[in-house]
Amino acid sequence: MSVETADGDDSGDDAPGAAAESREDGRTERTPLRRSETARWDGIAGVALALVGIGVVARRPGLVLTGAVGVGYVVYARIGEAREATVEIDRTVSDDAPSPGDEVTVTVRARNVGGAALPDLRLVDGVPPGLEVVDGPARIATALRPGATAAFEYTVRASRGEHEWEPTRAITRDAAGSRERTTALATPTRIVCTPELSAGGDLPLRGLTTIYHGRVPTDVGGAGVEFHATREYRRGDPLKRIDWNRRARTGELATLELREERAATVVLLIDARESAYAAAEPDADTAVEASVEAAGQAFTALLDGGDRVGIAALGPRDCWLSPGAGTAHAARGRETLATDPALAPTPSEGRFYRSLWLRRFRRRLPADAQVLFFTPLLDDSAASLARRIDAHGHLVTVCSPDVTAADTPGTRLVAFERRERLRELRGSGIRVVEWGDRSFPVAVARATGRWSR
Amino acid sequence: MGRPVVPRRGRAGHREVVAVSRREAAGGGAESRDSEPPDAPVDRERDARPPTAAVVASLVAGAGAALSAFLAAPLGGALVGLATVALLAGSLRRSPRILSWAAGIGVVGIAVAGYRRGAVEPLLAAGVALALAWDLADHGVSLGEQAGREARTRRNVAVHAGTTLLAGGLSVAVVYGAYLAAAGNQPVAALALLLFGAVALASAVR
Repeated sequence: MSVETADGDDSGDDAPGAAAESREDGRTERTPLRRSETARWDGIAGVALALVGIGVVARRPGLVLTGAVGVGYVVYARIGEAREATVEIDRTVSDDAPSPGDEVTVTVRARNVGGAALPDLRLVDGVPPGLEVVDGPARIATALRPGATAAFEYTVRASRGEHEWEPTRAITRDAAGSRERTTALATPTRIVCTPELSAGGDLPLRGLTTIYHGRVPTDVGGAGVEFHATREYRRGDPLKRIDWNRRARTGELATLELREERAATVVLLIDARESAYAAAEPDADTAVEASVEAAGQAFTALLDGGDRVGIAALGPRDCWLSPGAGTAHAARGRETLATDPALAPTPSEGRFYRSLWLRRFRRRLPADAQVLFFTPLLDDSAASLARRIDAHGHLVTVCSPDVTAADTPGTRLVAFERRERLRELRGSGIRVVEWGDRSFPVAVARATGRWSR
Repeated sequence: MGRPVVPRRGRAGHREVVAVSRREAAGGGAESRDSEPPDAPVDRERDARPPTAAVVASLVAGAGAALSAFLAAPLGGALVGLATVALLAGSLRRSPRILSWAAGIGVVGIAVAGYRRGAVEPLLAAGVALALAWDLADHGVSLGEQAGREARTRRNVAVHAGTTLLAGGLSVAVVYGAYLAAAGNQPVAALALLLFGAVALASAVR
């Protein structure tokens, strides 16, 4: 035991968390799951007796003896019991806070702590669903004497989020393999993968603003840099905004009105329903990944521009970060985008009720907030939701990653339907940014050229 | 383990077709996965074929069985050889059912060899080797299902082969010892009764 523990701790530069977990030797929690007969030796008794019978009738001692050996196998299949897997699992990860895309080596040591040998032990490690095994199967089949240790390692590619290992499944069989027992061995291991938020480009917002000073040009006259209108002079207007040219021409005093630039409140709404977990290819990132990445860029860019930014998820699990500003809020936003279970790399469990969700979302949404809606637009309900939020006065900009493929009639139909939805949204006055292979900032820069204010 | 790309459930009016994956839709895997039964789950993490060690050991044992049966009687040897080929086919197709049929052919081969007055010793060797060959092939299929081909399985296969061989060896020792010691000149029925008595005693003790 001490040797194994020392090994686990020796592995070097692990953060304190990982070292503490590997020291938890002896904490593997065993849950017996299932016992069954494999029925693989069924019929051997019949075969043995048939051979003996033929041998007796035909007077062939060789056949009688062979049949008797078969009876020996019958006994072999009957004796023995599939023992519970009395195994301690010790799992070490090479890095418990990797960056996305890093390869993390996972070493699993299984030690038989029971008093009896396990002649046939198969271990299937509970790799978190969000991680992809890139090297070596996370499985082993072995035999363990009491006190013996088997080790195997595999490599996973880290992806955004917080990943907890599920219980290892241990399948034991008796020596003949006629009985089988499954045991779950829970050993807590966790890695947290938080991507850096890269700053996006300038993101044009729509004209719904707060009363605070910011950088979104509005239709309100006042102080600013861009010309808006002229009006009659009123006492108290600042001297530098008086239209002196007009004064010289006509002798009347007039005041220049400039567009006020104000800050906006923006809520980044990310579609994380099950239908949004779609990708163009089995290996490619899902639309949720693309949305979260783009939302991270928008989050940084907007916060840097002085706007108040919040985060919400459209999905069965609740996720809400109310709009705010400042360094602490930036850190909270990064944390939410990286590890919130509602935005996990695999779909959340549970049903999604659209009307309930919408009611709660509207209650939380500040009256002056506009919405950046990140959705792949693969179904009509996303489009109609965008229209409904927009109709309630929260101006919506739809940012849609393109995950459709075009290699079969079915995928082409999906792509066509999606384009139709984009067209309808644009027709009803909602701004749409669409990006596929291009990066999100490039797509925003291209789209901005088309938009009027 | 695979990530669900296509949603399985949905509300009424919920569209089902979502960015279908290229590999499955095009059926492009067909040429590389010819040997798979159609209902085998597509598992991208691992190769579910039986481990090489198990298949090779099963083939060696099968060849030994065929050779022994051939020494007893050529026709029986041919049948056991056929059984070995069938065992290989069952391993490649990952089908325990084919393996059972193969073992059945082998048993018929041994019965034929015994009926054609094959000698006792090669018959016993053929029986033990055939049991080992089938056992390893079947074990390999279950290992492939649960652990996969690339996982480390050699120790497991070796231990399993060892115990099965040990069980066979012990049975042969008991049976052949009884045959030599007590029943050398007795009629066959007496031999059968003697062995039956031994089995009854063994099960009573258990």
